[in-house]
Amino acid sequence: MSDEKIIQITNLTRIYVDGVEIRALDGVELDIEKGEFLAIVGPSGSGKSTLLNLIGILDTPTSGTILLKGIDVTKMSDKERSRIRNQELGFIFQYHHLLPDFNALENVMMPLLINGMKTSKAREKAREMLEEVGLGDRLYHRSNQLSGGQNQRVAVARALVNNPSIVIGDEPTGNLDSKSSDNIYELLRKLNREHNQTFILVTHDERMAAKTDRIIRLVDGKVVEDSRKV
Amino acid sequence: MFEMTIAIRHIRSRRRQTFFSVIAVALAVAIIIISMSMLSGFMKNIIDVTVENQAHITVSPREDEDFIFLYHGLENYIRKQEGVIAVSSYYQGEAALQYRHNAEGVALFGVNPEDEDRVVQKEKDMIAGDFGSLDLPGRYMVIGSKLARNLDVDIGDTVTAQFPGSAPADFKISGIIQTGTQADETAAYANLKRVQDFYNAGDIITGMGIRVSDIYAANTLANKIDREADYDAVSWMEQNSEILDLIETQSQFVLIFYILIFAISGFGIANILIMIVMEKVGEIGMLMAMGVPRKSILFIFLLEACILGMAGVMIGSALGYVSALFLASYSIPIPPEMYFGMDHLPILIVPENFIIAGIFAMAIITMAGIYPARRASKMNPVEAIHSV
Repeated sequence: MSDEKIIQITNLTRIYVDGVEIRALDGVELDIEKGEFLAIVGPSGSGKSTLLNLIGILDTPTSGTILLKGIDVTKMSDKERSRIRNQELGFIFQYHHLLPDFNALENVMMPLLINGMKTSKAREKAREMLEEVGLGDRLYHRSNQLSGGQNQRVAVARALVNNPSIVIGDEPTGNLDSKSSDNIYELLRKLNREHNQTFILVTHDERMAAKTDRIIRLVDGKVVEDSRKV
Repeated sequence: MFEMTIAIRHIRSRRRQTFFSVIAVALAVAIIIISMSMLSGFMKNIIDVTVENQAHITVSPREDEDFIFLYHGLENYIRKQEGVIAVSSYYQGEAALQYRHNAEGVALFGVNPEDEDRVVQKEKDMIAGDFGSLDLPGRYMVIGSKLARNLDVDIGDTVTAQFPGSAPADFKISGIIQTGTQADETAAYANLKRVQDFYNAGDIITGMGIRVSDIYAANTLANKIDREADYDAVSWMEQNSEILDLIETQSQFVLIFYILIFAISGFGIANILIMIVMEKVGEIGMLMAMGVPRKSILFIFLLEACILGMAGVMIGSALGYVSALFLASYSIPIPPEMYFGMDHLPILIVPENFIIAGIFAMAIITMAGIYPARRASKMNPVEAIHSV
């Protein structure tokens, strides 16, 4: 693991105003290094998803800054944010969110096509990625023809196909049985080791969190614990 | 072009709704094409009847004069103008025609039959005798078919023309003409020289008819003659401005219906797109997470509207074409008294109508796509992803 800081979060605050003012994140300070495999944990409403959405630049903070590779992403235009999401970030959500009208291969190709890659080259890369997650024999299956665990594997392949520097998982195993859940965890672990990408997982599964290298615990929008395994 | 790929898949995933919304557009386009073909046919028919039975440009005496005096010079000047096919000088006067106990007031035209035929094609409207007979030595006359019936005369009968101040003159009927217009009841034609003599006039005329090659350039030439020769020249368009204005007004009125018909099909398209957008909320959020900019999301759904519209326009054009052909060949009868002498539904299939209907449909359908597309592109990705 290198000491290169890939994410630097300073005084990050996110306030939702929905009738009453909700302070979802309250002055969070956090640095994440390249290649880290960490979990953000905390009770419901502690702000862990909010933090993840901000790191994924799907949301904009009320105040504070987020530097991705030293660049402030909080004040970018939609076009720039979209480009960064496409090239630097990979998303895995609780529900796989595969495009139902496309097969596994086409789903994994999509981030490459969005990035402007030629179809033939994208197909080749997507095939390799699906083989890497163990779905080389399910390329032409659609989401409704795959099991929950298989769908989530496709989602993992799609998140990683563009070789992003940061992979974000929002309860990536929350919808799976414990066996599939373990499999996905092992897969993410393996990919983390092989590609040296940064993995940030939000989970309330303490068992899974315990297996990561670093746990960041949030309560009421504040970091209350930041522990690294040694 | 991943936008196109996604748009096509969205449409294909909803075959039934796609089918019905495309059919709605197709029907709208077909109805409008048929309607436009009828209007075009109607318009063309009116223009044809008008320009065939009328000189394209009519030259009248100067404002304060009753006659064109030195008309040969004017005739030469007009013949030299570009686009002029023929010129016919005439002397028009009023007269009473008498045959036995019957008498009718007529508009008596003195013409050079050859020139007149070249300007208004008299010969083809002759139902008995020929128009050229007016050139024969002696006094001959061609009269309208209804006039002939009213006077109870036929070819070979002799009628007497009378006019206050003129000596009565006998004319032998050498032809009967039927144009389908008012003239059939009121017009009588004779040789220019004989008519001038009848009215005790010298070699003068009361007007001149001109035929041109491009009927839509008639206005320009009329204005030129008006300006340069200082005679009152009026084109067929100005002479028939009332009818043409009526058609114009009707076209504008019909346009409102077209817009309404297209709007209905536009709602159909908007409806299916709104359904797709609602169904794909999570997918739209995921696309944004994958790095699809909002503009591309907007583009995807506008593309979907365009694809549906295009399919509808193509099917509708084919349907409209076939239906128009069918209506044209079936020759549906209509009352001629109400429709300027047309006895069957006029249909004219012109490419412009298809292009206009197509562009019009596409514009309205694209507009119908704006609302759902904007809704999709304005989604908050976080909310969209977690809505599932």
